[in-house]
Amino acid sequence: MKHPARVVALAVALVVVVLGVVLALNVGNDPEQDAKQSHLVGKAAPDFDLPNLAGGRVKLADVAGKATIVNFWNSWCIPCQQEAPALQQFFAAHKDDSDFVMVGIVRDDTTGDVRAYVKKNQVGWTIALDPENVAALDFATRGQPETYAISPGGLVAAAKYGPMSSTELESFLAAARASG
Amino acid sequence: MRRWGPWIALGVVVAVALAVVLWPNGEQSPAARAHELETQLKCPECQGLSVADSQAPTSRAIRTDIKRRVAAGQSDEEIRQSYIDRYGDSILLAPEDSGVSLLVWILPVVVLALGATGIVFALRRNREEPHLHPTDADERLVERSRADG
Repeated sequence: MKHPARVVALAVALVVVVLGVVLALNVGNDPEQDAKQSHLVGKAAPDFDLPNLAGGRVKLADVAGKATIVNFWNSWCIPCQQEAPALQQFFAAHKDDSDFVMVGIVRDDTTGDVRAYVKKNQVGWTIALDPENVAALDFATRGQPETYAISPGGLVAAAKYGPMSSTELESFLAAARASG
Repeated sequence: MRRWGPWIALGVVVAVALAVVLWPNGEQSPAARAHELETQLKCPECQGLSVADSQAPTSRAIRTDIKRRVAAGQSDEEIRQSYIDRYGDSILLAPEDSGVSLLVWILPVVVLALGATGIVFALRRNREEPHLHPTDADERLVERSRADG
């Protein structure tokens, strides 16, 4: 090898170029953003079969054929309480729509506290209980509140982690209806 | 051969150390497998904690789910993949050791090897090529002192 230093320099340059290409290809793949977005959008909604507050069951099959808003929440979470007026307003505007259903799934809370909250705040939509976090895990939730739009055909049309505004809820319903 | 002896010995020591660290640990119990998987997954609602270390409700649910999947006979890769499918790659605490992510593991080793090679070449060249050459004046000075006895 006549000029070993040159060979080493060339190899280092090659590694730097490969590293640059890899970085360039991964620009926009922000791990923090990735951690906040749902990977279920466009996929079939996870099946669920949960007890409701009235003593019956709530299943995904029950809402098939309807544009469905699923909201994960609990009574002690402050962002859930902040989002409550928007949910109330949105539900009041659409409760008579024949193609619309809204389900609140409670994670990490007691039935007594949920019942008291529902009564006090006159929550009119269906409330399901998920004491084992089974549905929460199937939907890959990262906490609460977290909201999903499910199309009449059973596809997840939109998802958001964090409190929703009325405008966002309207756009979720439109996305669910448009997804078919 | 005598010159290369220490290097060969060093190579053997490094190879044995790597083999001890990286060699698979034979058959693991279901509980050990579940715990190993829990340490590889990030708690989805915490900052930088593994599922194994977190007491968040989601982490508790994931631990239960992993134990159920292990008992159902799913492989480690199937269990890991089921979480990647739902949460994305960000659920893993360490990058995957396949595909593009493999570069994250390989590149530092390659850079280290190239750097070490460069240092070896530089040291060898320094030893083979002395920097100071005697000038004519130096030669004359030596000759004069020899002649003077």
